[in-house]
This record gives sequence, structure tokens and C-alpha cells, in this order.
Amino acid sequence: MVTPVAAESAPTSARRRRTRERIRAFGLPILALAMIVALWWLATVLFNIPTYLVPGPDLVVSKMIDLNSYLAEQTFVTTKETVLGFGLAILLGIPVAMSIARFRLLEQMLYPLLLAVNAVPKVAIAPILVVWMGFGLAPKIVMVVLLCFFPIVLATVAGLRSTPSELVELSQSLDAGEIKEFVKVRFPWALPQIFVGLKTAISLAVIGAVIAEFVGSSEGLGYVIVQSGASADTALAFAAITLLAIISIVLFYAIQLVERSLLPWAEENR
Amino acid sequence: MIEVIGVSQRFDTQRGEIHALDRIDLEVHENEFVTLVGRSGCGKSTLLRIISGLIRPTVGAVRVAGEQVARPRRDVSVMFQRPALLPWRNVRKNVLLPVEMLGLDKRQYTDRAQALIELAGLAGFEEKLPHELSGGMQQRVSLVRSLIQRPKVLLMDEPFSALDALTREEMSVELQRVVAEESTTIVFVTHSIDEAVLLADRVVVLSPRPGRLERIVDVPIPRPRTLGHNAHADQVSAISAELHDLLQPAPQVAT
Ligand SMILES: Nc1ncnc2c1ncn2[C@@H]1O[C@H](COP(=O)(O)OP(=O)(O)O)[C@@H](O)[C@H]1O
Ligand SMILES: [Mg+2]
Repeated sequence: MVTPVAAESAPTSARRRRTRERIRAFGLPILALAMIVALWWLATVLFNIPTYLVPGPDLVVSKMIDLNSYLAEQTFVTTKETVLGFGLAILLGIPVAMSIARFRLLEQMLYPLLLAVNAVPKVAIAPILVVWMGFGLAPKIVMVVLLCFFPIVLATVAGLRSTPSELVELSQSLDAGEIKEFVKVRFPWALPQIFVGLKTAISLAVIGAVIAEFVGSSEGLGYVIVQSGASADTALAFAAITLLAIISIVLFYAIQLVERSLLPWAEENR
Repeated sequence: MIEVIGVSQRFDTQRGEIHALDRIDLEVHENEFVTLVGRSGCGKSTLLRIISGLIRPTVGAVRVAGEQVARPRRDVSVMFQRPALLPWRNVRKNVLLPVEMLGLDKRQYTDRAQALIELAGLAGFEEKLPHELSGGMQQRVSLVRSLIQRPKVLLMDEPFSALDALTREEMSVELQRVVAEESTTIVFVTHSIDEAVLLADRVVVLSPRPGRLERIVDVPIPRPRTLGHNAHADQVSAISAELHDLLQPAPQVAT
């Protein structure tokens, strides 16, 4: 009997390839960003655009530096609302998705309802939330949950439904019972798709927080944007928008990092 | 060990009723190796599912170790055409999955897992994830997993048919070596005549539409058996020829 032997050189060359990929993954977006900023700056200078319409990147950066502690505070507020709402959406969404995936009756009852709720423009609800809950943290969190809930539920249901039939038969043939089957087979199998939902949801979460801040708030980056509009301080608005983009990107990559470390097998499998 | 008593199976589908199996009677003795051959769609997988307790027959009954099968039994193990490994578990943990699923004491099976892994030629690959293995090696893992809990009965549904021809021959020779040390009754589905003759004590031939038991052919060739040159070539070719004739589509006869 011949025992197969793993090739010796494979791991090192794979590692080298991975480093190269990582440099590209970071380097190329940064390069693109630098080019866009340069174009932006060039345009403001060449076409002589008044700074109250489009401030150059230099003005935006100096605004960020001048107001750094204020902006840091507002960034923290918005991030907190986003993360709390997102977490709550996961805590609510995954059990709902589990029940929908498990019970046909619940699916038939809840799916049309979920679709209807999802179809309502959330901006329209924002003022009502202020009436109900005031200007505090609560309406922001609710708004974030409203936006995140649906993609999380949808992805989780799809993931839980995607267990290959041979794995289901295997666990049935072992007479494992539903709970063990869920814990050891169905749920781990669904995780890559759940993460797809989480990544969709996190961008929506930031948007939700900003919408809620627009309509009723005295802090957060959304509030900063509304204020800067009133005083025609476009540079401040651009600074706040830039910070919002950074929050989105950082949270997105944070989730991706968790995914990569939790599911090293998934990348090779899908 | 296994008694199939008057089993018929019908499926209700949108395109009408399918009569998959018709009055199958079959007895498989303890430690016997039986292969089931037949054209595709003649109900081989269905019969295996019924024996395993995954589905209940429309008519008839199955007994394993003297007890009527109403649901999957702990001492009956199933191996599928596809490896059905969990992609997030390494080889060792995949092998131990049945132990966890059956709620057995894991510590009592770690040595056995290692021994079987080595027996199946997987030594050194214990920590590898399935996607790092070739198709043949994945199926070895699947085989080891199906043996871990010392099943009395092993049901195998075309386990090597997704592999290339050479790997397939190698696997069927090795299967004999691995199970020689186990006391397991095996029902092995295949549509390869060579595989059926190589492995079986008896070959059960099913005919299609509806699946009927056509003939049982004895294979009285001593073990261990190999492919290629051997002392029983005449016997092998005679049995193969007989199976060939049985599996040819019957001429259309008006009834
Ligand atoms: N769950 C099912 N529902 C409906 N028809 C089925 C089901 N399982 C098998 N069949 C039908 O029963 C027949 C036998 O199938 P199967 O046992 O898979 O055959 P084989 O394994 O010999 O190829 C086929 O016609 C197949 O379409
Ligand atoms: Mg089949």
C-alpha cells in the first residue's frame, strides 16, 4: 500500500502568494483613493470651484484637524449607535431566521410581513420614531435594526436551507436528533452565507444611524452634517461624510476579519 | 443479519406514482458481503435507504439483528456516493463525528480512530481539512468514518463511482483489506460488474421498472481477491459474463 505524501514546497509558495495577494488587497484601493483625491484637488484648483460649493481635500483635512476632538466624539456616537443596533439585529434576526427555516407555517406567516416591512421606506418612519421615543439613543438603534434585520434574516434562512442532502441523510442515519444536527451540521454550514448577510447589513447599519440622526438628534455625524448645511460649512460636511465612510469600511473589514478567522475553510470551499 | 421481507416501495410524485421496488425478499447473513447490481433507476438506493431505516417501505418489513427496523439504527452505518465530509472539520474530527452524534464516549474511540486512519492509508493527514485531500482520500475518510462506531451492518451506495477508474480499483481492493479486520455485514451497491464480482460473496441482481429481484449469483472465489492476473480468472469471467447477460435490457415482450 502506497501512502500519499504531501508535497514539501507547497506551503511556502502558497504563503508567498498569499502575502502578495494581501499587499494587493491593501495597496490597490489605497492607490485608487490617492488618485481620486488628487483629481478632486486638481479639479477644485483648475476650475476655480468656490470652496463653499466643493472644498478641496486640503480644506477638509484641515477642518478635521481643527475640530479633531469634537469630530472624534461625534464619530464615537454614530459608531456606538451603529454597533448596538447591528448587534441587536443579529440577536433578533438569527432566531427568527432559525424558526422560519425550521417551520413552514411560520415562513408562510412571516415572510410576506417581512417583505412588506422591508418595502416601507425607512426614512418615512424616522420622524415617527422621534415622536414615539424622543431624541435619545433608542430611536437610532431601532432605525438601525429596521435596516439590518431583513438582510440578516434572508441570508440566514438561505444558509440554513442550503445544507447538502447527503449531510442531512448522514446525520439522520446516525439518528442524531434535530438539535445535534443543527449545532454540528446545519448551523456551521450556514455560517458563510450568514456572513454575507452581515456584511450587507453593516453598511445599511451606518446609513440607519445617520438617517435617525438627521431627523432628531443633537449629536453624531448625521447631526454634524445637518448643522454644517445650515451654516454653509461644506468643508465640515465633507469631513463628516469622510468619517462616515471610514466607519463603514472599518466595520466591514472587522466583520471580514472575524469571518476569516472563524471560517478558514469557507474561502476554499465556495 | 438482515432480512428484507416482501418489501415494495411506491413514491407519489407530481408526475404520478413511481413503483420503485416490487416484493423484494432477501436475506443477508452475518459477516457476508453482498453487492447489489442493476441499471440506474432500478431501486438500489431506495432498497438501501429502506434497510437503513431512512425511509419506511410502502409494504413489507426489514429486520436487522432480528429486530424490525422502524428508524435508523445505531449499529447500522451508511456510506454515500459523495464523501459527505464536514468542510470545517479536519480528518480526525470528521472521523469522530458519528461518535459525537451517537453520544458515545469520545476518549474510548480516539485510539480506534487513529488505527483506522492508518489502516486506510491516511496517516499524516489527520489534521488536514477535506478540501486539502483528493477525491479518493476524501472517500477513504468517509469509509473510516462509517466504520468508527463498529457497526454491525455497513450499507454502501456506489461509494467509489465518483472516482477515476484507477483510484476506484485501488479502493475496492483496499476496502477488502480494511473490512477484513472488522466483523461487519456489508451491502454494497454498484453498477460495475467488475466491482460486484471482486467484492461479493453473493451478487444480487435487480431488474428495473419496477425494481424486482432478478437473480442471486454466488461468487465462490477465495479471498483475498485481486484484480488483474489471478488463479481464478476463468471463474471470474464466467460469473461476469452471467451478470452481463442478466443486466442486458430484456427484449420488449407484450404481456
Ligand atoms: N424520494 C423519492 N421520491 C420520488 N421518487 C423517487 C424517490 N427516490 C427514488 N425515486 C424513484 O425511484 C426509482 C428508483 O430510484 P433509486 O433507488 O435512486 O435507483 P438507483 O439507486 O438504482 O439508481 C427511480 O425511478 C427514482 O426516480
Ligand atoms: Mg442510486
